[in-house]
Amino acid sequence: MNPCMSTPPVSTPFPQIAVRCEGVTKSFGTGAAAVQALRGVDLEVRTGELLMLVGPSGCGKTTLISVIAGVLRRDGGACEVFGQDYLAITEQETTRFRGKRIGFVFQAFNLIPTLTAAENVSAPLVIQGMSRKPAVARAREMLRQVGFDERMQDSSPVDLSGGQQQRVAIARALVHQPNLIVCDEPTSALDSETGRKVMELMRELAVATNRALIVVTHDARIFEFADRIARMEDGRITGIETLKTNAASAAETRSA
Amino acid sequence: MIRQYFLPVLALAGLILGIAVAVNGSKKVTPAAAVSAPAQSPYTVFVAGSGLIEASSENIAIGTLVGGVVAKIHVQTGSRVKAGDPLFTLDDRTHRAEIKLRESSVKVAEAQLADAKDELAFNENIEDKAAVSAEDTNRRRHAVRIAEAQLAQAQTQLAGAMTELDKLTVRALVDGEVLQVKVHPGEYAPAGVLGTPLMMVGNVAPLHVRVDVDEDDAWRIRSGAVATGCLRGNKDIRTPLKFVRFEPYVLPKRSLTGDSTERVDTRVLQVIFSFERGELPLFVGQQMNVFIDAPARVFTPEPVKPAREESVSR
Amino acid sequence: MYYYALKMLIGDRAKYIGIIIGLTFASLLITQQSAIFAGIMTRTFSFLTDVSLPDIWVVDPQVQYIDDIKPMQDTKVLRIRGVKGVEWAVPLYKGALRARLENGTFQTCLAIGLDDETLIGGPPRMVAGRLSDLRRSDGVILDQNGAEGKLARSGPDGRRIPLKVGDTLELNDHRVYVVGICEVTQTFQANPVIYTTYSRATTFAPQERKLLSFVAAKAKAGEDAETVCARIREVTGLMAYTPERFKELTFYYYLKYTGMPVNFMTAVALGFIVGITISGQTFYNFTLDNLRYFGTLKAMGTSNRTLLKMILLQALIVGGIGYGLGVGLASAWGALLGGRTQIAFYLPWQLLLITAAAILCICLSSAALSIRKVMKLEPAVVFRS
Repeated sequence: MNPCMSTPPVSTPFPQIAVRCEGVTKSFGTGAAAVQALRGVDLEVRTGELLMLVGPSGCGKTTLISVIAGVLRRDGGACEVFGQDYLAITEQETTRFRGKRIGFVFQAFNLIPTLTAAENVSAPLVIQGMSRKPAVARAREMLRQVGFDERMQDSSPVDLSGGQQQRVAIARALVHQPNLIVCDEPTSALDSETGRKVMELMRELAVATNRALIVVTHDARIFEFADRIARMEDGRITGIETLKTNAASAAETRSA
Repeated sequence: MIRQYFLPVLALAGLILGIAVAVNGSKKVTPAAAVSAPAQSPYTVFVAGSGLIEASSENIAIGTLVGGVVAKIHVQTGSRVKAGDPLFTLDDRTHRAEIKLRESSVKVAEAQLADAKDELAFNENIEDKAAVSAEDTNRRRHAVRIAEAQLAQAQTQLAGAMTELDKLTVRALVDGEVLQVKVHPGEYAPAGVLGTPLMMVGNVAPLHVRVDVDEDDAWRIRSGAVATGCLRGNKDIRTPLKFVRFEPYVLPKRSLTGDSTERVDTRVLQVIFSFERGELPLFVGQQMNVFIDAPARVFTPEPVKPAREESVSR
Repeated sequence: MYYYALKMLIGDRAKYIGIIIGLTFASLLITQQSAIFAGIMTRTFSFLTDVSLPDIWVVDPQVQYIDDIKPMQDTKVLRIRGVKGVEWAVPLYKGALRARLENGTFQTCLAIGLDDETLIGGPPRMVAGRLSDLRRSDGVILDQNGAEGKLARSGPDGRRIPLKVGDTLELNDHRVYVVGICEVTQTFQANPVIYTTYSRATTFAPQERKLLSFVAAKAKAGEDAETVCARIREVTGLMAYTPERFKELTFYYYLKYTGMPVNFMTAVALGFIVGITISGQTFYNFTLDNLRYFGTLKAMGTSNRTLLKMILLQALIVGGIGYGLGVGLASAWGALLGGRTQIAFYLPWQLLLITAAAILCICLSSAALSIRKVMKLEPAVVFRS
C-alpha cells in the first residue's frame, strides 16, 4: 500500500515541502534524434507558495510540470511530491494519486463541451468515486466561490467567454481540494484584464488555503502574482528570484 | 431530455417488434394426425406385403359356353351354392322349339319303324313262302333297319337338342358363394373370356389372402411362415394367417391405373395364406397389410469353382 | 463517469446520429437480407415443415434435394415397412400437375398424394372441410393461397372468385372435386398445392413407370431415427434422411448450385462492411475529437480501466440503438410486406442473435481502435496545445 494514501497530509499553516526535485532528467526519442528536455533540474516548492516557471519556449517548462504532476515519467534524478516518488509506485497508483492530490488548469481550459459548467467541475469528484448528484452540488458550491455567474452554471462551456471558462477550469482544479495545482499558461488565451482577475482568484483561493501552485507562463504581466519565479533555459533552472514585494498584498491593494 | 430518450426508446420498440415477429414466425407447425393409424407388425423381424383377399378356390369367373340373352338368374350375390346348382339360364325358346321338332321327328321315326316292322312281320308271317317274293321280304327287312336307324338318328338329334338346352343353364362347378353377379335377365351374355365376368363364384370358407412380396424380400420367407393381416383402413381388424403355398412363379406386378396402358412396376412373389373369416367384416377383394414373420435367415454361399480354373489346374 | 461518457456521446449529435445511422443500416441490411434468405430457404423445404409427422424420409439415392424427385417402385414401401425399427412407412407422391382453369388457361400445381389408407402427410391446418374428406371419390384439397389466387375463377366483373368446397377442377383431363381448403407453408415456386390420395395422384400423374416419390416413415419409440435411417440404407439400398438431414441436403444443394446464397451473403457482408466503415470510422473520429478530453480525464485521475469502460459503453449504446432500430425496421418491413405479398421473410430468433453478434462485432472493433488510441494516450498531451 501506498503510505501516502493511507495518511494524507493535511494542509497545515506551516510551510512544508510540497515538491522536491533533484537532478531530474528527461529526454524524448532515441539515438541521434533524442532530445534532452530536462538536464538535471533542482527545484523545491513549499506549500502556500505560488511558483512561476518562466523561460523561452522549448526550455522544458511543460516537461518539468508534467513530471511533477505525474503525467510523465522522469528518466533520472529524484522527485518527490508530498513525499511520494512516482517511480516507486505503479502507473495505476500514480493515476489515483493525481486524482486526489493534484489540480490542473490548462491553457486551452479543456472543458468538455457537451457537459454543463457544473458537470465539468464535478468531474474530479466523480473520478474519485463520488456519485453524480452530491458531486454536482459540491461543484455548484465551488463555482459560487470562484464568483461564477450562477445562471450560467448549466450552460455549455462553448457558450461562455474565455474568462468564464477559465473560472470554471479553476473551480474544477480546486473542487477536490488538491494539495498541488499545476497551471499551464492560464492567462495566455485571455486578455490582460481578465488574466489579472484570474490570477487574483488563483492567489486568493489557492495560496490562501495553504496549497502549492506551480504556474507555467511567459506572460510578464502576471509575474507580480508570484512568490518566486524560476527561470528555465535549455532544460535547466538558471535562477530563482524571490519577489521582494508581497505579490499577494500588492494584489489586494490593487483590488481595494 | 425527451430528445435524448427518443432514439433509445425507438430502438427498444424496434427490438420488441423484432422479437414479436420472430416469435410469431417460429410457431411450430403441428402435423396433421393420421386419419387412421398405420398398421404395425406384431413381429420383430418380418416381411411386409400387401394382400388381396380372395376365395380359397380362387375367384371363379363364370362364363357361358354359348352366347345368348339371359332369361333367368337362379341366385343372388351372396347365395351359397353347391356344385351343380344352376346359376343362370339363357333364353331357350329356340332350343325348346327345336326339341319339340326333334321329339316329333322321333315320333315320326318311331311310327315309320313300327310301320316297317308291321310290313316285315306281314311277310314273315305268311306260311306260303311262295306267296311273297324273297326280294320283297328283304326290302321290307331293310326298310325296318332304315327306320331303326332313322329313329336312332332322331333320338340322337333330340338328345343333342336337349344338351344344347342344358348348355343354356350355367351351373356352379364347386361349392361356394356367389361373389358377384354382373348379368341380369334380358342382357346378352357373350361366350368366351370377358373383362368383367358374368358371375363370380368362390369358396369363402376359408378365405385366402394373396400377398405380394417384393422380389428382393422373397428369399426371407420360409414355407409355413406365420403371418398377420391387418385390414387397410383399420389396423385393429386383424387376423392370424396360415401359410398355404407359394405361387411358384414370380410375376410382374401390375398397377392398374385405369389409363389406356398399364405399368409394370416390379416383380413380386405371391404367397397364399388362409384364414377363417368368422365375425370379422372382411370381404373378398379387400386389401390387407400383411406382416410375415421372417426370422433372420442366413445363406452361406457355397464356394463356386470357376470351370476355367479347374481346367488350368488339370 | 458513465453518465458523462453518455453525455459526451449524445452531445455530439452529428456523430452520434451518424454512427447510429451506420449501425442501423448495417443491422437492417443484415437482418432483412438474412431473413429473406432464410425465408426462401425454408420455402424450399416447406413441404418437410408441413409434413412433420414422419421422422424418416426415404428417397432414391440419386436425389439431390427435395424437389429433385426420382421415383421408386411402389413395393419399396413394403420393403421399408419390413426394416427393423420402422414403426410405419407410407407412400407419398409429389409432382407437378397441370390444372386447366375455367378460362382455358393452364396452371401448374404441386400435387401431393397421401397414402390412401392413413392419409399421413396431410396439410397442417384445414380451413374448410376435413382431411378425411379426401376419401370421397375424386376429392382434392386445395391450399388457400391457390384457391384464392392462381386457381380462382374470374367473375363477370373481373374480380376473382375463390374456389370453394364443392367446386370442380380439371387436372390432367381428370375432373376432381374440391372437398377441403387448407393452409400450407408457402412453397418455393409459390404454385398452388393440391392434396389428394396417392392412388388418385398417380392416376392424374403423367405416365411413368415408377411414381413413388417418397416413403415417409416413423421410427419406433425408443429407436434413434438416424440409426433406423442407416439400417434402411443398408437393407434397401435407398437413401433415408431425417427431416433435418433432408433439409440440410436441400439447403446445401442450393448453396452449391445456385448463386442465391452467395448473393445474400454478399449483401450481408456489404452491410457488415458498410457498418464497420461508416460507424467504425465515425466512432473513431468521435474518439479522436474527444481525445483531448479523454487526456484531461486521464490527467485528472481517471484510470485506463474506467476510460475503457466509458468507450465500451459508448460503443455498446450506439450499437444497441442501431441494432434495435435496424431490427425494428427490418421486422416492420417484413411484417408489412410479408402479410400482403406473400414475400419470403422468415425471422428466426437465432437471426436476431446473429445480427446482434454482427453489430457487437462492429462496435467492438470500432471501439477497439478508439480504446487503443486512448490507452496509448500520454496524459502529458494535455499540456501541449
